[in-house]
Amino acid sequence: MNYEFNWTVVSENWDYLIMGIVQTLKVTAISLSIAIVLGLAIGLMRISKQPVFKKFAGAYVEVFRNTPALVQLIWVYYCLPVLTGINLSPTASCIAALGVNGAAYVAEIFRAGIQAVPSGQAEAARSVGMSYAMSMRKIILPQAFRHMIPPFVNEAVSLLKYSSLVSVLGVADLTYQAQTLSTTTFRPIEIFTFIGFVYFILCWLISWAAQVLERRLRASA
Amino acid sequence: MMHAESQQNMVEIRTLRKSFGSNVVLRDVDLTVKKGEVVVVIGASGSGKSTLLRCINLMEVPDSGRIVVGGEPIGQQNKDGSFRMFPEKIVNRKRTQIGMVFQHFNLFNHLTALENVTVGPISVKKMAPAEARELGMQMLTKVGLADKADAYPSRLSGGQKQRVAIARALAMQPMLMLFDEPTSALDPELVGDVLQTMKQLADEGMTMIVVTHEMGFAREVADRVLFFDAGVMLEEGTPEEIFTNPREERTREFLRRVLSPSAPGTTGSGRPATVTAIR
Repeated sequence: MNYEFNWTVVSENWDYLIMGIVQTLKVTAISLSIAIVLGLAIGLMRISKQPVFKKFAGAYVEVFRNTPALVQLIWVYYCLPVLTGINLSPTASCIAALGVNGAAYVAEIFRAGIQAVPSGQAEAARSVGMSYAMSMRKIILPQAFRHMIPPFVNEAVSLLKYSSLVSVLGVADLTYQAQTLSTTTFRPIEIFTFIGFVYFILCWLISWAAQVLERRLRASA
Repeated sequence: MMHAESQQNMVEIRTLRKSFGSNVVLRDVDLTVKKGEVVVVIGASGSGKSTLLRCINLMEVPDSGRIVVGGEPIGQQNKDGSFRMFPEKIVNRKRTQIGMVFQHFNLFNHLTALENVTVGPISVKKMAPAEARELGMQMLTKVGLADKADAYPSRLSGGQKQRVAIARALAMQPMLMLFDEPTSALDPELVGDVLQTMKQLADEGMTMIVVTHEMGFAREVADRVLFFDAGVMLEEGTPEEIFTNPREERTREFLRRVLSPSAPGTTGSGRPATVTAIR
């Protein structure tokens, strides 16, 4: 093997790569936010006593967990407009698809976290006159949150990695920029090694932040 | 005259029925508890005594019957006699007036002792935090745990947890307190402090319904003792009547079993009932 590395391709196209990183972070952050809000709703429906909610939430989780994210992405972009007339830009399609996909996993995290809180906690909350919503907000979710940090970090990290799929639809994320640069500079080895490293650092930062948070929460109880 | 009489009653229960699936737990129970009265409910595990208590604050929804607390019904009765819950808002308001103490304490683990006591007044009654803190400290002082205000439940003993739980219920300034086997999950040496706190509350005139296996407490503090058997209130009377001269054979048998220290455990907590002296 006598490949000669030339890393100047990275520094020369720095601004181009930074644009990709920003786009990757943007897609991840927005779809993660959607996943959290939607996931909480679906998770609460899953543990609800209403059979309609329960069945809907169960079906939602199964559908999105058991089909590939890439298929969902393409479906939202190409099939949804034909079937419903809803036309989304490539970026919006990606964010929507990753958001609803992530929601299925986040819903399961919420469900498991809430169910890990002993039922006596809810009883005690209701016995002082708290409504269901208030007992969730003040008593159950703050306790469930602690159990949820590790699986939630997994989900955030995997969403960040899945965001590379958006390059398929031409969204100029980090992976897409790398592909473009490779074809113009003929330096895919340097470029893809570099962006692999960037993804690693970003994911590692999320895990690290979560560990700090977890340690701080443990200190308070 | 009827009116004056019913105003003196804190709890009125008529033909209360409750079943879980095919298992009938309460069969047409009638019970009246006067203001300031301390009623102790005894009976074997599965006799329905905890369910009775849990129906009063709607932790369980009765199948049929009528329950009146403080002069107001806690739910509606349909024409066919079946019980219907009031809307959640009304139920929640009722619950603020009825304090409940659980066998397993159920302290909020993510909150300090003081926060456990103040979370109800602040979030349910919308009391100002400063005022709630003051009230909370008063309640913790009352149960002898002012020095543990900033401790999390994980740092408290079982007896301390249960006293914080009592303070939490009292902070809502209830007119009625329900105790569901409050000492059954405690190590024997920790039982006394909790019973002492409850006795003090009784002395102050609080209306209390206590499900317990502490026969010593029943004898000393109760105005009236109810014996439950298979979902029916089989016998009631003063502690004197129940403990020294029970009418029913089932009552005699139950008391013989729980009061004899060598008998195998027959109580709800899975160990023989104990007689703990109240200091």
